[in-house]
Amino acid sequence: MDQAIQLLPGVTLRCFPDHRFKHGCLSVQLVRPMCRAEAAMNALLPAVLLRGSRKHPDLRAITLGLDDLYGASVSALVRRVGDYQTTGLYCSFMEDRFAMAGDQILAPMVDFVRELLLEPDLEQGCLRADYVDSEKKNLIATIESQLNDKRAYAMEQMIKRMCSADSFGIPRLGEKEDVAAITAHTLSAHYRRILGESPINLCYVGSAPADTVAALLKPVFSDIDRNYVNLPTQTSLCSQPGGSHTEVMEVNQGKLCMGFVTPVTIRDSGFVAMQLLNAVFGGGMTSKLFMQVRERHSLCYAIGSGYHGSKGIVTVSAGIDSAMFETVRQQILAQLEACRNGDITDEELVAAKQSLRSSLQATHDSPGAMENYYATGTLSGLGMTPDEYADAVEQTTAEQVAQAAGQLQLHTVYFLKGVAE
Amino acid sequence: MKEVFYPELAERVFWDTLPNGLTLAVVPREGFQKKLAYFVTDYGSIHTHFMQDGKDCEAPAGVAHYLEHKLFDMPRGEVSAEFAALGANPNAFTSYDMTAYYFSGTENFEKCLELLLEFVSTPYFTEQSVAKEQGIIAQEIDMTADNAETRVFENLMQAMYPEHPIRVPILGTRETIAEITPQVLEECHRAFYTPDNMILCVVGDVDAQAVRQIACRILPEKAAPKAQKQRQWQQIMTCQQQAVRDRMEIAMPMFQLGFKCEPLEKGETSIRREIIGDLAAEALFGESSQLYLRLYEQGLIDASFGGGFETADGMAMLTAFGDSDDPQAVKEAILDQAWQLVDQGIPEEDFLRMKRSSLGRRIRDLDSFDSVCFRLCAYHFSGFDYFNFPAVYRSVQARDIQDFIQQVVTKERCCLSVITPAHEEVSEHEPK
Repeated sequence: MDQAIQLLPGVTLRCFPDHRFKHGCLSVQLVRPMCRAEAAMNALLPAVLLRGSRKHPDLRAITLGLDDLYGASVSALVRRVGDYQTTGLYCSFMEDRFAMAGDQILAPMVDFVRELLLEPDLEQGCLRADYVDSEKKNLIATIESQLNDKRAYAMEQMIKRMCSADSFGIPRLGEKEDVAAITAHTLSAHYRRILGESPINLCYVGSAPADTVAALLKPVFSDIDRNYVNLPTQTSLCSQPGGSHTEVMEVNQGKLCMGFVTPVTIRDSGFVAMQLLNAVFGGGMTSKLFMQVRERHSLCYAIGSGYHGSKGIVTVSAGIDSAMFETVRQQILAQLEACRNGDITDEELVAAKQSLRSSLQATHDSPGAMENYYATGTLSGLGMTPDEYADAVEQTTAEQVAQAAGQLQLHTVYFLKGVAE
Repeated sequence: MKEVFYPELAERVFWDTLPNGLTLAVVPREGFQKKLAYFVTDYGSIHTHFMQDGKDCEAPAGVAHYLEHKLFDMPRGEVSAEFAALGANPNAFTSYDMTAYYFSGTENFEKCLELLLEFVSTPYFTEQSVAKEQGIIAQEIDMTADNAETRVFENLMQAMYPEHPIRVPILGTRETIAEITPQVLEECHRAFYTPDNMILCVVGDVDAQAVRQIACRILPEKAAPKAQKQRQWQQIMTCQQQAVRDRMEIAMPMFQLGFKCEPLEKGETSIRREIIGDLAAEALFGESSQLYLRLYEQGLIDASFGGGFETADGMAMLTAFGDSDDPQAVKEAILDQAWQLVDQGIPEEDFLRMKRSSLGRRIRDLDSFDSVCFRLCAYHFSGFDYFNFPAVYRSVQARDIQDFIQQVVTKERCCLSVITPAHEEVSEHEPK
């Protein structure tokens, strides 16, 4: 699946030339090992870079520059992919052919990215302290507001407890006390270090040919003083004993989250069967969790499961009436048990396969979906194109799905219990 | 079938009106695998009051949404599984003024389309299935009640619109949904799911003639008489209640500010007014404005801040929302900025840049199939062919934006909804 162009040591460009779209996208990712010592800094850095460059020294100047590029957008891109965290920028911009005669967008866009990434507005050699402080405050507010989405909050609490001995337990944006401890000085030193030593992954989807894009991007990274360091390989979950946890909150609806471990990761041959099991078990509107727990027993509105293939974790989350905790928990386990026993109908299997295939086939219909598939797939160790992946799904049997279910082990239960106001 | 070209957007659409009154729009996208079909009725949560067969009908709040859930039931069972077997994902949503059913998929398009048209036009409700849905929707109501963004908005609507049904949540309440019976659902289906109240919109690499043939075959040949919406809603442009507060388990105070606007008329004036409203929001407090920079640097707003022009049948408003420790100060600053903009005018260069940026974003947005379907349908109901928007941009002038701000962004038309964290002390009185 790799159509990678090595621009410089450790600087890799992946291009997907495509003429069907009205817009293109470009991502720049510095790849880091996920660790507590730098997670918060990696999350903060792009937000600070987006506050101002030497030529565009404040937010307004940046927005005016983007407005001139027909409303192009540049945003902070911070991902977690297994044991890695990536930090960088994501841009989305209209294709040149829709601009008024003579106006170019791609070339000035690349230059804008260069400026934001490499020419920040410095004071005494450091990133501006006022920008660092203000973005620290915003990042802390963002971390705190995760409480506003109770389902996501509950899931994060479950993952934290389940992965307390693994990098996967570190929140994607870091911990708020680590954000608070960052100074303009420490962030600037970190910025220079990771610019020098990180693998840099670039991904472009749009109508320009790969050699044009490579010619635009190579000079951007040529002047950086690079001493590139290879990353450790991805690992499966390093787990501590699990358990059951309850937190009480003044909310109308309780949230039940369950975490299962499996030795099967995206790098194993059993990966596709595990993905298919997830679809049969709780992946969508035809899954057992949806059809049985919601439709048949009317126990919830939102319920579903997810497979974190980079780590080997399957999670289940459900919004429930708090009094029904034990009933729903039993029901969820009963549905998994049914999968283990091979109690999977042809309809369920076909529906799960079709749904996976359909979303894989649609990957190539959106620049953002393509960028996401290839940029994260490369890092997690997924070695298939969407079409190859879809073929592998098609060949998977019900027995293999039941076997995959047998490889799941309940590890952690987390219950956000609602109490009446 | 009429094939219409839109050279500026490199788009074409096959438009048709079938003998039964259904509007059909097919947007061909060669070389794409994904296909998306929207089947939409011009009927939403606010249309609870209507005349049918000379009878005055008043349905319980939440009925449009309840109906949306229950239409997936057919005499032979629930249809989601049938879509799934065909590799498609069906879904639906109910807004204040429309209800949409749709599926997307890469294979078996024609069979899926038949299924979509069939289930939406087949009312099948039993006492048992309707009763069973109450538990699911009650959980959906509880989930929504814990969502701060929804609550801050619903509180704002209640405060701003004493006379308009937008004050009632789309889902209804646990009490109102308990009144819904199979008979109520049948009555509302008969009232609003007649083909001449609906549009079918398809985007993807499909044959427009085949789409038309399927629609003719599956749907009734003739339109049934449709109900008359009762929408004599009183329009007072000042806000009698100017603030509303609430508390929830959230991390930081959250606010939404609304400025009442005159409801939109049908046709090109509606999108023109909307574009003017959006540009006014950009000029006032958008990311390219002086005010945004100042508020952001003062820490009064953060990246969650946003806003624009919002509209539903019979209502329109300019709105701004986000997290802030001092929502009142944000409100005052926006009112002050409006004064200044009206007084000093918008420089032509700034205006042209804003227009180009807004136009560029709308063009980029057309790569999203969902966005194309949603907009073509919504604008069709307001009497405008959406793909003609570039021409509307050309006709808008800086003066229009200033006039809009002068008329709308005033203290009298303004209402502020705030939610504070449950664990923090709040004063019971509005700060001066």
